[in-house]
Amino acid sequence: MPKGLSLIFLLLLCVTAQAEYWPAEQWPTTPTPTGPALQALEAYAFPSRDDSTRQGIRTDALLVIRDGQLIYERYAGVTTAETPHLTWSISKSLMAAVLGVAYGEGFFKLSDPVAKFYPPLQKHPDMTMADLLHWASGLDWQEDYEYAPLKSSVVAMLYTRGHHDMAAFTAAHAAYAAPGQAFRYSSGDSNLLSAALKTIVGPERYPDYPWTAVFEPLGIRHAVWETDATGTFVASSYAYLTARDLARVGLLMAREGRWGDRQLLPKDWVAFNREPFAHYHAHEDDAVPGGQWWLNRAVEGAAQPWPDAPADTFAALGHWGQAMYVVPSERLVIVRYGDDRDGSYRHNELLRLALKAFAGKVQP
Amino acid sequence: MTGFIRRRPVSSLLLIALIALLGWIWHERVALWAFPDIISAYTAKEYCSCRYVMNNDTEYCHGYVKQWLPASGFTDDPAGKRVTVSGMGRSNSAEWIGERQGCRLQP
Repeated sequence: MPKGLSLIFLLLLCVTAQAEYWPAEQWPTTPTPTGPALQALEAYAFPSRDDSTRQGIRTDALLVIRDGQLIYERYAGVTTAETPHLTWSISKSLMAAVLGVAYGEGFFKLSDPVAKFYPPLQKHPDMTMADLLHWASGLDWQEDYEYAPLKSSVVAMLYTRGHHDMAAFTAAHAAYAAPGQAFRYSSGDSNLLSAALKTIVGPERYPDYPWTAVFEPLGIRHAVWETDATGTFVASSYAYLTARDLARVGLLMAREGRWGDRQLLPKDWVAFNREPFAHYHAHEDDAVPGGQWWLNRAVEGAAQPWPDAPADTFAALGHWGQAMYVVPSERLVIVRYGDDRDGSYRHNELLRLALKAFAGKVQP
Repeated sequence: MTGFIRRRPVSSLLLIALIALLGWIWHERVALWAFPDIISAYTAKEYCSCRYVMNNDTEYCHGYVKQWLPASGFTDDPAGKRVTVSGMGRSNSAEWIGERQGCRLQP
């Protein structure tokens, strides 16, 4: 009898072990749980939309993956399941994944000086790959978008003085701090990483590298990644993916860099992505920076950035409300595309309502 | 000098303000010269991507790139997938390059 029991137990274990879902050409689906929690989420994310005033919360897409299965998706405005939506700064986290594959191939170390791969940075010999991944180059960068257009480094980089060669434009900035000592969010730092990758993988492989390294292994068929005139990917801003495809990257991260039986990103790379930057001080930004990802971690006694979400939540975030939240403890990946032109959207509120609707109902 | 300041206090102040302004313009000359390009370059690039990368319709994309300062000229050549916008005395174009590369500001 005990033998029989343990056999049944073993059998059950095998069944649960095999019941790990992965997307093939399409996501496997599971029925959406309906009820007041879902209604509350939809009332928050999809209020009546006004495309002429562009005011308020304007969600273009909301998609939830639980346990590797598509449990919810809804689109609004002109965005559909087929739309490769602009991700803005989510691109930075995508570039981190691309770099992670090169890291796994042994092409570079986190402690490598960036100047080794990008010679214009030779005047900053102490700046390492890790410093750039932490947005801690020490370069005197101004990230404001709309509110200080004259002084904005990012507007100048994308549209005027810097658009031919964004990395060179960034490298020409003076230093305000020693590399690796202070956090200052910088799209320029992300584009320096992109320029460094060109040398890391070589100019022949570089133009296809995001596809061969990440998109194709994950089954992402329709990614667009715009470049500057020198062919450097605009890692700060210009990757476009469907919500369903972006969620594949979320699942990769939720499962510590593993895709099926292949460890695509080394575990220590994902751990680095999710480790708070040691010199970050509370409230310097809306969330805690890791390695080109945003973390829901309490630092220096301050509250978690998103108090209603588990502490292991991390996210890729972009301008105008683009977000992908990964909650490993709840086996959730949430993609939210938007076109918010005011600051009314709140990550914590979306997370709170989405967790209420979708978390904690996992089969044992 | 002090005599001039005493006799013409207002003019002196205005002169100092003018010198300060010229100094600021000189200091910010690079940023100021680039500034008028922002509206047309932004509109051309983001309209091109809205239309030819995200495949949204023209009406939506016009609303999507609308700014507080309207552009004065706008042409979208659907055959060449090239968008040219002028405003504040400058003109900028963005062109769709390919399936993977999307749009890019020209030249």
